[in-house]
Amino acid sequence: MKHRILIILATALAVLCLSSTAMAHKVNIFAYSENGVVYAEGYFPDGRPVVEGDIEVLDSKGQKLLSGKTNKEGFFSFQTLVNDDLTIVINASMGHRAQFILRKNELE
Amino acid sequence: MNKNILGSITGIMAIAFCTSSTEAHFGTIIPSDDIISQHDDTTLKLEAKFIHPLELHYMEMDKPKQFGVQINGKKQDLLNSLQAAKGKSPDQEKDYTFWQAEYKVKRPGDYTFYMEPVPYWEAAEDLFIVHYTKVCINSLGLEQGWDEPVGLETEIVPLTRPYGLWTGNLFTGQILLDGKPAPNAEVEIEYLNESKQNISIITPPASPYVTQVVKADINGVFSYAMPKAGWWGFSALSEASWKLEHEGREKGVEIGAVYWVMTRDMR
Repeated sequence: MKHRILIILATALAVLCLSSTAMAHKVNIFAYSENGVVYAEGYFPDGRPVVEGDIEVLDSKGQKLLSGKTNKEGFFSFQTLVNDDLTIVINASMGHRAQFILRKNELE
Repeated sequence: MNKNILGSITGIMAIAFCTSSTEAHFGTIIPSDDIISQHDDTTLKLEAKFIHPLELHYMEMDKPKQFGVQINGKKQDLLNSLQAAKGKSPDQEKDYTFWQAEYKVKRPGDYTFYMEPVPYWEAAEDLFIVHYTKVCINSLGLEQGWDEPVGLETEIVPLTRPYGLWTGNLFTGQILLDGKPAPNAEVEIEYLNESKQNISIITPPASPYVTQVVKADINGVFSYAMPKAGWWGFSALSEASWKLEHEGREKGVEIGAVYWVMTRDMR
């Protein structure tokens, strides 16, 4: 009986810890295009930038077009190379990952 | 089906009869979505009305004096995007004017839409009514700005993040009057019976169920737990320090700070 309570408590604690980091560290990415340049931004819900997040840009077939890192403000930009739907993936530390799909009709 | 409709209409008529003396007016701004995710339509449709939310009754609404959106502390005037439309409850005979707008959300962040209507003359209460109304939507996970005041004469500033709310959640807000907390103000709360999330029209068992009433504390802070999925309106009423003239006589002005939030069932 005692054991069971301990296990429940431990599980509850683990869930608590896991979920609080997941929320506080939820990575988001947004991208838009202007005058042939795609601007991507990595951010946390409270507005803090994702600093030095790994960026990968994929075409509609999943082929990697380019990669890089976000700067101190969480920004990353590149010249639009192809007229295709782009998937922009951000990988922050601890395996937090997010992606944004920029449709080719949104490329300007 | 016919029976259902008949039942609803009877219910609505029953509400109309039982509660005409207690009905509360609410300015409303209801957006087509409260959270914009990556694959959602980024064009919001907004409806601005002056209604009795639970009883479904519309009132005639003139074009608002102010209609806009605050993003990241900056305001954008949207008055020219408003288009007049007509609507009514099933038991109302004639149509009443309300206002519609479309707004394209372009970036992540919180978008607080706000409205200042022109004063509405309410003969039954011998006063004018001005409801400063707000609603906040979130775009793409950047949760920044919902807790900032817009700077209206009176307004509710949410202390609970006003989107992503479950049914049963407690909504807490602070009432500001001229930018300062309004101590002990009365807040009227109503469920929007025409919410598209509403699966069955609510018929209140007695008139006190139409409008819930809570009082703010000394810091103008109030809370209410919302028992059903759909839109909930919070309206904090004060008396304006100014008067308006009606047929040659000075009349009082009721100013309301109205805020709308949406809940979803947890399932």
